[in-house]
Amino acid sequence: MNPALWIAKTGLDAQQTRMGVISNNLANVNTTAFKRGRASFQDLMYQNLRQVGAQSSQNTQLPSGLNLGTGVRTVSTQKIFTQGNISQTGNSFDLAIDGRGFFQVLRPDGTQAYTRDGSFQINAEGRMVTNDGYELQPSIVLPPDAQSVTISQDGLVSAQLPGQAQASTIGAIQLADFANPAGLEPIGDNQFLESGASGAPQIGTPALTGLGGLIQGALETSNVNTVEEMVNMIETQRAYEMNSKAISTADQMLQTLNREL
Amino acid sequence: MDRMLYVAMAGAKQTLRAQGVAANNLANTGTTGFRADLESFMSVGVQGPGHGTRTYGVIRGHGVDTTPGALERTDNPLDVAVSGSGWFVVQTEDGSEAYTRSGAFQVDPSGILRTAEGLPVLGQGGPIAVPPYEQILIADDGTISVRPMGAGGAQLAQIDRLRLVDPDPGGLVKGPDGLVRTADGLAQPPSASVKVASGMLEASNVNAVQAMLRQLDLARQFEVQMKIMTAARDNDDAADRLLRNS
Repeated sequence: MNPALWIAKTGLDAQQTRMGVISNNLANVNTTAFKRGRASFQDLMYQNLRQVGAQSSQNTQLPSGLNLGTGVRTVSTQKIFTQGNISQTGNSFDLAIDGRGFFQVLRPDGTQAYTRDGSFQINAEGRMVTNDGYELQPSIVLPPDAQSVTISQDGLVSAQLPGQAQASTIGAIQLADFANPAGLEPIGDNQFLESGASGAPQIGTPALTGLGGLIQGALETSNVNTVEEMVNMIETQRAYEMNSKAISTADQMLQTLNREL
Repeated sequence: MDRMLYVAMAGAKQTLRAQGVAANNLANTGTTGFRADLESFMSVGVQGPGHGTRTYGVIRGHGVDTTPGALERTDNPLDVAVSGSGWFVVQTEDGSEAYTRSGAFQVDPSGILRTAEGLPVLGQGGPIAVPPYEQILIADDGTISVRPMGAGGAQLAQIDRLRLVDPDPGGLVKGPDGLVRTADGLAQPPSASVKVASGMLEASNVNAVQAMLRQLDLARQFEVQMKIMTAARDNDDAADRLLRNS
């Protein structure tokens, strides 16, 4: 059949994937510490119908070959780890990371997950947990009579206990960093898992050795740029239309073939 | 049989192939750094006995369109675009060199700078090893410097320079993997005149209007071939009728 039909179909597929990524970005425009995704495309393999430089006779060579492309494919949906804005909330358990690094969270199945969403809460046992109730690692347990909690830029958690002049240190938050954060596997819940492409986590103290510092009473917003996503959406829609136009043109050619012969 | 039928058939077949090239260009309007494929028809005389009156139209590739595509700002320091003419050099699976304009690079866990499809990007002396960094900067001339993890703000270490080449556009062919190579297979010397822009990606250089017009043009051309094939059939029908009457 007409190769153009199948080639244009790969174009439709690619634009559809891109539209899915864009709508996911737009849907998460208000998700704390969401990192936007980007679909990357690559041309599919080429069919070499005539090799350039092949002998066209004993003494002559073909000056140009013929390589027919077979379309496009989505090669990756990459997460873009640029810093989101810092928005002040005043809540003392809200933490934003200013720079590189991830909070470590223990999932109920025992696996370690990584997140930049620092909207923590306290559960019934006084432990710092995420909005889903997953515990922050290393665990921070607040005494039940703590009056106020201060978290320093380098992760030290100190609580003011009644009847004591000095605040007492109750734990330290540590951050994990990866050689290739874009290689982390997103699993939803604002969380990521370590993967073969991300490299092993390097645990460190916030604001030291290249890790970002913590800001108490603030949250990192999503890094989705709505204007950019809108422009991408227009581009995707038009590209989709052009590919469907290519399909209808190819279809017309086949119609002519059936009608005329 | 009238041999004009075969000439028209060959024409229709070649038109379908050309349609494939146009559809491939259209499908890749969103592919980063994609270079449009160029095609044209050439005439090849029919060999054999008889008068040399018949000529087939045969499609041939014309290499790639090297016009630069639009630059899109992404602010990702590992996204690099070549501004103007020139190419990045990557190492293919078989160890040979190939050229690409797609500069969406990534650093793998072992620190090697790779393209989005995972091929190592070449520097002055082979693949580029990037140490763990807080910040990475790619200068206009392709020089990569990093602020290593844990080092102070003022300490920037220069690690390598992207190998950028600027071969003659006429001698470039696209391989089956979509990467561009020189037709003669000779390695190109690095060119100091190629400039890159970091934080940008180059869009595909397919001119969508042109590709769509080409499609319509080819569709009409295909119809013409069909008409000729119908004419050939009518001729044969007429000859049949003449023979039946006698």
